[in-house]
Amino acid sequence: MNRLLTATALTALLVAPAFATDLTVAAANVSSYLDPGRDHSNVGSQFYFNTFDPLIHKDYSTAEAKWMPGLATGWKLIDDTTMELTLRQGVTFQNGEAMTADDVVFSLNRMYQATFAPYQVRSRDRLDNFSGAEKVDEYTVRIKTKRAEPLWETLLNLQQVFIIPEDYTKGLTGDPKVAEDSDYEAFSLAPVGTGPYTVSEFVPGQKIVWTRFDGFWGDKAPLDTVTVTRVPEIASRLTALKTGEVDMITNVAPDQLALIESEPGMHAVGSATALFHVMIMNMNHPKLKDARIRQAMSLAIDRDALNEALWLGKAVVPSTHTMEEFGALYMPELQTFGYDPEKAKALLAEAGYDGFEITFDTAPGYYTNGLLAAQAIQEMWAAVGIKGRINVDEKWSGNSPDMMARNWSNPMYFADPFGSFGVMWAPGGPSESEGRFNTDEAYKASWDRFRYSSDIETRRAAYAELMDRIQKDPPVLPLYRPYESWAMRTGVTWVPQAGHIPYVLDFRAGSITVE
Amino acid sequence: MLRYTALTLLRMVVTFFVIVTLVFFATRLSGNPIDFVIGQGITKEDRVLLIRYYGLDGSVWTQYLSYLRAFTDGQFGLSFLERRPVAEIVAERIWPSTQLLLTSIALTMAVSIPAGILAAIYRKGWVGSAVMTVAFLGYAVPNFVLATFMVLVFSYVLNWLPVVGNGTARHFIMPTLALSAVLIAALTRFTRNAMLDVLEQDYMRTARAKGLPERLVILKHGLRNASITVLSVLGLQVAALAAAGSVVVESIFAWPGIGDMLVRAALTRDYPVLQFGVLTVAIAVITINTAVDLAYAWADPRLRQTGRA
Repeated sequence: MNRLLTATALTALLVAPAFATDLTVAAANVSSYLDPGRDHSNVGSQFYFNTFDPLIHKDYSTAEAKWMPGLATGWKLIDDTTMELTLRQGVTFQNGEAMTADDVVFSLNRMYQATFAPYQVRSRDRLDNFSGAEKVDEYTVRIKTKRAEPLWETLLNLQQVFIIPEDYTKGLTGDPKVAEDSDYEAFSLAPVGTGPYTVSEFVPGQKIVWTRFDGFWGDKAPLDTVTVTRVPEIASRLTALKTGEVDMITNVAPDQLALIESEPGMHAVGSATALFHVMIMNMNHPKLKDARIRQAMSLAIDRDALNEALWLGKAVVPSTHTMEEFGALYMPELQTFGYDPEKAKALLAEAGYDGFEITFDTAPGYYTNGLLAAQAIQEMWAAVGIKGRINVDEKWSGNSPDMMARNWSNPMYFADPFGSFGVMWAPGGPSESEGRFNTDEAYKASWDRFRYSSDIETRRAAYAELMDRIQKDPPVLPLYRPYESWAMRTGVTWVPQAGHIPYVLDFRAGSITVE
Repeated sequence: MLRYTALTLLRMVVTFFVIVTLVFFATRLSGNPIDFVIGQGITKEDRVLLIRYYGLDGSVWTQYLSYLRAFTDGQFGLSFLERRPVAEIVAERIWPSTQLLLTSIALTMAVSIPAGILAAIYRKGWVGSAVMTVAFLGYAVPNFVLATFMVLVFSYVLNWLPVVGNGTARHFIMPTLALSAVLIAALTRFTRNAMLDVLEQDYMRTARAKGLPERLVILKHGLRNASITVLSVLGLQVAALAAAGSVVVESIFAWPGIGDMLVRAALTRDYPVLQFGVLTVAIAVITINTAVDLAYAWADPRLRQTGRA
């Protein structure tokens, strides 16, 4: 009997994993809702990748665009405006439903042919070229665009078109056959996808718990559970990491890095986030109509000094509105923005600047170092003779005709200049619509070639034309890519990967190990 | 007593309705939520779309009516951000806040009433001076300084106490101390002063002359008479604490309470949450004040007879 017991115990030891692998994360912010379709916030993008899949995946470890099969195993162009996708078989959603062409068509058309206001808003700035998706058979769908689309894979890899279950969503409220607005609202509190982790608990703004989804079609998740809790204070996050209450923390400020490196038992990782903190200037403000004044406001700012002083030199100061992640469209050779105080003074004199006050709006705490940067900019302006005044207010003033200059951010929503500069500065886009940026026929023509040409060289040339326009009549100055850090206890190995949009907490197989 | 109770309750209802209306108009004055919720970089037509989606397109009166209507279905409207009933959100938050409030009141009373009495009795000795010195220090240190200091010492350096959330009893120690320090300091001083007033009274001498034991003289004749002052100070303190006085402490300890919710709702102009969050706090304050008024009546028999406070 004893021998039997011993044998059983030994077998159990061999079969069962030694320990359950759990991870706790203290995050500065937790989403108020979880719907990859309508969300494009920095807070939200942390959370979608573990639970949802796109039709087309990519190699996220690299900034290069290496497309890989996702929920579609193959895709080919039928004609200029039609893509046919073959869907992966045997995929199940976390609620047990099998994924079919119906779910894919439903997920895509909720964006492409949006009726729900938040989807309409989200789809207009990036998915406007997509007219709809249709089912061919259980595992084949076709997607139609209005014009030939050069960015097919990029725009099918987007967070906004991650796939969600049709029957589950429609059945959440009201008529189970109809997708009502309230269904989408209910979905965002109880999200279901095909990814390796199920959202097993969600307290909006407070807590997310992921549990491994054993029915996942790909490599199984390496963690049994992940608990993300909101801890707004950085001092409390750091302490919780030190005491072992949590294994990992987000949003570590640059000035805390030295402390973390000096502590045994923890380490920090970071990267220059694929996002620009920018200064915007109102072209249509009566006092700033003269482009030379805005050029001077821009040329007076020593961005390298800001980087050294505020980011310990770890941020990245760009020569133009470009990022390495853009691949073939990465164009660091363009010199759109620079520091030249002498030229700034000359331009001000030419424009007859009479010392009028220029306001710079900033929220008190929205951007890391935002207020400090504003104060430094005020000093730099003073050095060339511009009288600046900082206006601290929570309110977004980018749509006010009285706004002169303020800070803002231009995130990379997807890895193409269209996903960064393009979303914000398109003809008729948000900046123009808010009344602080103007475009004309020539800009539109360049834009059109940049957006729709299938030839990379043509796109690059058109983008250079756009940057030239931005230089001559500037509405924006990208300051830097802020340096964002995460810290974790020894034994947890995780790094932010270059192939993701900013802030994604990727805990899939191969992305994290926990000892 | 009945008449007094009825008058107190009626005053409570009127106050509440005034607050309901004030809260509605005050939140509207603070700015358009579209500028805060989704404000950055949306086109004009999208703006119109979202204003309609959030039900902000009607006139102020239509909105006021639908606000009042939201009381009747028990959901109190949908949060702009979370799109779920506000009642659910507030319900999640109210218990953690109440727990912290109760532990803080309990600690405050347990410490400051005995300390105040001792300081009054031994006002000329070292006990009195020591109590008053500590009380003064407690009054001078803001709660966020104390909280951060405790986190540094007891968590970061010593690793004795947890900092995140309200999971176990040990989680209550630091937030309770941080919140109570100022209350203890204030209440100790008031208790001492009230006791000093009472100790000088003729009836105290009479009680002693009757040959009552000193313990009974102090606790029954002394404390009972000093309790009116103690109660009103405590009532004010607790009301202030309930009125989101714990915001900073909640933020430091990642405590999922009402204060934290209100601040976030205010920053994002999530009107429905803000409105009903403020109302919840108002109800708490009114309830506390009413409870204090009733307690006065218990402490002072004269109030029961005249029906006036």
